[in-house]
Amino acid sequence: MIHANQLVKKFSIRGESLIAVNEVSFQVSKGEVYGLLGPNGAGKTTTLRMVMGLLEPDSGWVSIDGKVTSNDSMEHRKMLGLISTNDGVYPWLSVREMLMYFADLYAVDLALAKVRIEELAKLLDMESILDQRCSTLSTGQKQRVTCARGLMHDPPVMLLDEPTRGLDVVGSQTIFRFIELLKERGKAILLSTHRLDEAERVCDRFGLLHHGHMQYEGTLVDLQNATGQTHLTDMFIQLIQSPANA
Amino acid sequence: MCLKELRESLRDRRTVMTLILMPILVYPLLSMALQRLLIGSATSKQEEIYIIGIDDEKKQSRVDALLTEGQNLLNAGTISPIPPIEFLKKASVSGDLVKLGSSKEEKNENDQSSFDPRKFRLKWIEKPNLTFAVEQGLIDVAFTKLDLNVVSLRRGKTQSFDVEMQFRQGDARGESAAMMLRRMCQLINDQQYEALRQNIDSNFSPAVEMKTIGIGSSVDPTASIAAVIPLVLILMTITGAVYPAIDLTAGERERGTMEAMIATPAPRFALLLSKYIAVVTVAILTALANLSATWVTLSFGGLGQALLGPRGFSLWTLIQILPILVIFAAFFSSILLALCSFAKSFKEAQAYLIPVMLLSLAPGLVTLMPNVEFTTLYAVIPLLNVLLLSRDIMSGTPELVPSVVAVVTTIFYGAASLVVASNLFGSANSAMGSQATWSDLIRRPTKATASPDVGIFALYLAMLFPVLFVVSNLGTSITKDASLLMGLNAVALFVLFFALPMLWLMYHRVSLSNTFLITDGSEAGLSPSKRIARVACMFLAVLLLASSVWIYAVEGLLLFQSWSIAAQFPDLEKLKKDFMSIPFPWILLTQAIAPAVAEEFFFRGFALSAMKTKMNTVRAVTLTALLFGLFHVITGNVLSPEKFVPTFLLGIVLGATASLTRTIWPGIVLHFSHNALVLWFSRLEKDQLTRWFGESEHIPAIWIVAGGGIIIVGFALLFLASRLKPNT
Repeated sequence: MIHANQLVKKFSIRGESLIAVNEVSFQVSKGEVYGLLGPNGAGKTTTLRMVMGLLEPDSGWVSIDGKVTSNDSMEHRKMLGLISTNDGVYPWLSVREMLMYFADLYAVDLALAKVRIEELAKLLDMESILDQRCSTLSTGQKQRVTCARGLMHDPPVMLLDEPTRGLDVVGSQTIFRFIELLKERGKAILLSTHRLDEAERVCDRFGLLHHGHMQYEGTLVDLQNATGQTHLTDMFIQLIQSPANA
Repeated sequence: MCLKELRESLRDRRTVMTLILMPILVYPLLSMALQRLLIGSATSKQEEIYIIGIDDEKKQSRVDALLTEGQNLLNAGTISPIPPIEFLKKASVSGDLVKLGSSKEEKNENDQSSFDPRKFRLKWIEKPNLTFAVEQGLIDVAFTKLDLNVVSLRRGKTQSFDVEMQFRQGDARGESAAMMLRRMCQLINDQQYEALRQNIDSNFSPAVEMKTIGIGSSVDPTASIAAVIPLVLILMTITGAVYPAIDLTAGERERGTMEAMIATPAPRFALLLSKYIAVVTVAILTALANLSATWVTLSFGGLGQALLGPRGFSLWTLIQILPILVIFAAFFSSILLALCSFAKSFKEAQAYLIPVMLLSLAPGLVTLMPNVEFTTLYAVIPLLNVLLLSRDIMSGTPELVPSVVAVVTTIFYGAASLVVASNLFGSANSAMGSQATWSDLIRRPTKATASPDVGIFALYLAMLFPVLFVVSNLGTSITKDASLLMGLNAVALFVLFFALPMLWLMYHRVSLSNTFLITDGSEAGLSPSKRIARVACMFLAVLLLASSVWIYAVEGLLLFQSWSIAAQFPDLEKLKKDFMSIPFPWILLTQAIAPAVAEEFFFRGFALSAMKTKMNTVRAVTLTALLFGLFHVITGNVLSPEKFVPTFLLGIVLGATASLTRTIWPGIVLHFSHNALVLWFSRLEKDQLTRWFGESEHIPAIWIVAGGGIIIVGFALLFLASRLKPNT
């Protein structure tokens, strides 16, 4: 469903060129949760933005369902849903108004949008806050609203950027359930997080990024065999400390 | 989409405060304060004593008689029992004179004048300073002539006053005194006519023939008030638009909603348009609220006629001003959006907008100055055109042509700003923050670079402007000799636009040959025959362009003269005389060679190379041409907006030449040729021009059309030269 091939992205900072993403490739299938993992500054968000079409890669390409994104970025955006902890809400709009707005942006039919709002409200336990102003929501409620927003157009591909950041245990559980739900619905999910313990729980496959490079890619079993470690955190530390990465 | 933007804006308390509370609270308060001031000044007016200047002892008794008779008639409102001939006889009696500054200046019991001293006082002024005394406000009116003449009639003779009175125009006291005196004289004459009608005296001649001269500039006392009100309305409209513009653009980034919005398939222009509609709506609502509050305050508070004269601020005036404010709101909203789209936070957006708001005050101050007429030239200057149009509507004197030009250009500028905003809105460059700080622009880098950074260029440009202003004005203070001044300016140009930028770039370790396009790297690998062909094409192209571009510059000059803009520069003829006396080779050196070299290195070298690092060639050429045009608008301490269009177009030609040839030298030759031809043309006398152009004051249309064709051919050759590639 998602195919990223040799993605490269450079930034110029104080006259110096910084390679944020260096020849990163991966694939994500339908009904699969792919974890793009790594510490802060590894290049996860930049990679996600390139997949989303918000950043133009300096080289490489991304295809969604076989169509290269640079050719028709508007069409491919209809197939993507983005949920990010950086996302905010509109303080003066109610939850319903905000969701209707995004339905409009994704060209979702008005009647269908209303139905979907009710469904998502039930699913994400938002029925009581639908007509509340977004400025009055708690962090957990805002996160649920953001999740609903990403699903308004029912995209086949979901991109989740640090979805549990800032959430407590209960809030995080909601997100995990949400991810399970997406997986059941056959969506291809690309999850970017630095919480390796959480990723271990929900992801089917992993791509470990460090300094913009893909250090390793595979399932949990593959990683265990390669590193001899049990937990993802230990595997990652071992991989980045290996002589090849020195 | 629009509904969401409007909801966000109108539900925000801060928008509502600016929109509603300000007009309904501030205007009535201002009105009450102003009323208090006017009452105070009216009270003091009642005790005003008008000072009349005279410079001749003989005039005193005559003025005495005139004032006494006139005042009696004014006060009584009926015909005086004294026939006019008696009044004239009294006028020939001499009396004491009170000199300015003397101990008798204040009226005392010994004063033999019989007119009411609470209204008028005489002052003696030394000849020939009467007019000067009026100009300086030492006196309110002056009788510069007050002769008692003998007038021959059909039957006999009679006497008559021949009066010339001066007052200062725009001065309320002077005008009031002159009006009262004119009225008095008219009453005296009316009395004469009434006497004739009643057959008291068959000799007919006006007892007073008065000529009134207003000196100084004619200023409508209500003009400045008529200009302040539109300025206030415009500023309030801007204030109304600022907050939603920031909130819907930079505010989205701050809240973290921008990315989710940009990630949708909705076209960026549609997103921006919905925000634009919301901002314009709030701006228009603010304008409407303020305009209504102003009308209510002036109409019902009683200030309308006091401030604006008899016409006041009518409903019809409001209806006329409203569409102007709407168009302005649409224009300024697009400017705000363009600026705010670039900002990543509220604070940054405010930092961008503050200079714009301050700049917006400048046209407002211009409109407050006396004798600023709303011409077609001013009609194309944004903001100034709207203010002047509104001022003229309030004064009741709008003219059709400048009004139409103002409306059309404002709409055009608004559309252009919207296009710019749509390019900036949500772009990656804006989304990712710049990591640079101010010290990065000054600190010497460790690595060399091929092209200069835009920041380095912008910093140099920012430092250049004040230095240029000081240097160009310093020249005129050092010498008035035109020839020497030209030399000094040429040296300054060379230093500021060539030498110092070179040092600045060397400090920043930027490649000079690459920046200034000194060597043509594209020649590498070309066969000798292709190289010759390339040079020949470039040479021919430059020849053709040089022979045609100057036509448009000269026509621009001729248009400038024919639009009577030249009449605003009375020293133009003197300038031309000085210009003709300078040897032409010196003029060529200082006005053609020096600018060609210095400006090409700066604009097509430094500026264009820096711009190309951030944008495509077309935009870079356009932006450098814009800078080039603006640079020529600023000459000394005077703005010359008429130079903008011709130099902007020349800048496009030169920029395109540099980009196509990838070297600076053809542009230097072209720039020199253009300047030389224009200078040579400027020195031609009218009879020489008549031989070529006939009686027309413009270049023949066939020349202009042919010139356009030659320019196209020239560019075609440049394009051909640029396509020559090495054999593979």
